[in-house]
Amino acid sequence: MENSVTQDGIATVLANQSLDSSSVRPEIVVQVVDLKPAGNRYTFSANDGKMKIKAMLPATLTSDIISGKIQNLGLIRLLEYTVNDIPGKSEEKYMLITKCEAVASALDSEIKAEIKASTGIMLKPKHEFVAKSASQIINEQRGNAAPAARMAMTRRVHPLVSLNPYQGSWTIKVRVTNKGVMRTYKNARGEGCVFNVELTDEEGTQIQATMFNAAARKFYDRFEMGKVYYISRGSLKLANKQFKTVQNDYEMTLNENSEVEEASNEEMFTPETKFNFVPIDELGTYVNQKDLIDVIGVVQSVSPTMSIRRKNDNEMIPKRDITLADETKKTVVVSLWNDLATGIGQELLDMADNHPVIAIKSLKVGAFQGVSLSTISRSNVVINPNSPEATKLKSWYDAEGKETSMSAIGSGMSSSANNGSRSMYSDRVFLSHITSNPSLGEEKPVFFSTRAYISFIKPDQTMWYRACKTCNKKVTEAMDSGYWCESCQKKDQECSLRYIMAVKVSDSTGETWLSAFNDEAEKIIGCTADDLNDLKSEEGEVNEFQTKLKEATWSSHLFRISVSQQEYNSEKRQRITVRGVSPIDFAAETRLLLQDISKNKTSQ
Amino acid sequence: MDTSSPAAFVNGALLRRYIGQKVRAVIQVIRSDVGSVIGKSTDDQQIVVKGSPQPPLTTYLEVIGIAETDNTIRAEVWTNFGDSFDVQNYNELCKLANGEFRHLFI
Repeated sequence: MENSVTQDGIATVLANQSLDSSSVRPEIVVQVVDLKPAGNRYTFSANDGKMKIKAMLPATLTSDIISGKIQNLGLIRLLEYTVNDIPGKSEEKYMLITKCEAVASALDSEIKAEIKASTGIMLKPKHEFVAKSASQIINEQRGNAAPAARMAMTRRVHPLVSLNPYQGSWTIKVRVTNKGVMRTYKNARGEGCVFNVELTDEEGTQIQATMFNAAARKFYDRFEMGKVYYISRGSLKLANKQFKTVQNDYEMTLNENSEVEEASNEEMFTPETKFNFVPIDELGTYVNQKDLIDVIGVVQSVSPTMSIRRKNDNEMIPKRDITLADETKKTVVVSLWNDLATGIGQELLDMADNHPVIAIKSLKVGAFQGVSLSTISRSNVVINPNSPEATKLKSWYDAEGKETSMSAIGSGMSSSANNGSRSMYSDRVFLSHITSNPSLGEEKPVFFSTRAYISFIKPDQTMWYRACKTCNKKVTEAMDSGYWCESCQKKDQECSLRYIMAVKVSDSTGETWLSAFNDEAEKIIGCTADDLNDLKSEEGEVNEFQTKLKEATWSSHLFRISVSQQEYNSEKRQRITVRGVSPIDFAAETRLLLQDISKNKTSQ
Repeated sequence: MDTSSPAAFVNGALLRRYIGQKVRAVIQVIRSDVGSVIGKSTDDQQIVVKGSPQPPLTTYLEVIGIAETDNTIRAEVWTNFGDSFDVQNYNELCKLANGEFRHLFI
């Protein structure tokens, strides 16, 4: 009895679909086979030699497995269990074990008896080699169902969460939820091409799969967005966190020998998108980070579409801004780009008055307007998602959110927040903070915001340079006529002037020099360098050039600045560069001052 | 600068402290009657401002005058403050100017 299983144990289990301590114990001993982890618990197949049934052990027994009390191929006595149907597969069942005890440690092999059909999975001899002629095989294949269906029948599909690099063969059934473009690369070892796909299984687990060269060419056309595939013979490795786009510790590489077959003629599953929501008031720490984030929020407003010219290729791209709010009483602007702007964006505009809840997966967090979100090609927008978070948010909004006054995350961030959070109002300093700290920016440039007055613009400085009209780089006068651009390697009859100037700024704590480049200087002066040059060359009673500079002086701005160190005549000097200029929002500034007053009061 | 008759910054709640004295307040116009304007103070209280301002009036008005009762001002000076004005900031100013920073104001 010690080393044997209960005769027809599984049949008994199926006959008594649940067993608890109060029942009369039929004393069922089964063999554990295919023991493996699934999340924080373990699954196995219970074997009585005739039949097998999938079973799951409770998390409380995980320690027994790790300590070796319960072993693969070992025997256990079932004390408490229930038998359930696997959703969608009524013919298959699984046993949920809540209590069991180990009877014997691992046997030499799986216990087998004669094969018998049943509701459990039929036991197949492990290796069945029957010599067949080639024509026989081809005949069978032609006569058979689609190859994918065959694969499904003959192989157990593993959940993605169970895959790890140390596992032998597996098959997964996944949907392509994102497909990258084929990219070519060149490095020391030569050149090649690569592309990747994001795969999602029935449980919503995602993994990224990458293919290089031959494999990339082989599978690029096979993988189609949204279709379901059986995949096997890929290899797993730890995911590179730097390029990680999905929540998975591993990533998959498929090579030429990997198998990818489309699962057609089959019941399709739609993977649920798994979200990992970040509350709006915590977005600050993600600004300009590589991590992509997910948000959920109530739509406050939707803008019409705008066309934005992309800097690197001058292409026009549609964009639409939506404002979302959540229970943190903060709002954030999300820019939808491309198809998301024209497609789902239009849908949102039409229903904006109803304030739908939307969840967006994979957004980039930028510093524009303090903190703002932007979609990328793989972002995914779900309107009124069917999730507990959405329900909670909707009821909060209907109950109180509607009436609550909200503030934009970008303008209301507290300065105590994480270093990553940067907004015009968060890292505000006085000029003395910079001038009294000569080592500031020694390691790498540091950024601040400061409100200051322009106190002096030296009129006789070189304020601009001749720039190439296409690339903005410096041009030199060509021999005959026109201007030569070294960077574009071409000559143009015309050039444009671009500012590069020094301005002195002052605030209540001191003064300093800032360097300003074209865009920022234009905002400070109020006209382009070309226009200012025209004024300068005009002669007459009133010097318009001087007037223009005077007008620019003693006006206040909000500056975004960077502080770095520069070697000058073998002496280190601070260089403060204007990175952004914006007009003063007096109400916001007043709020900031009020905040400072109350802070000073409490610290005294 | 004429400091002979200073006007204290007030909101609705502070008005009663200055009955018979000169005050200044910013109000949001609710309605304009003959000889008076009904408005809302920056702390959301209804205030009657007596006098006849020159139309047109913007949404926000600054009035300087004598506090007659705890909700009436007889205005001498009317200034249009535009259609967008941050009432919370002004309200905080009123509180600070009548609270611990009173010594800074005349």
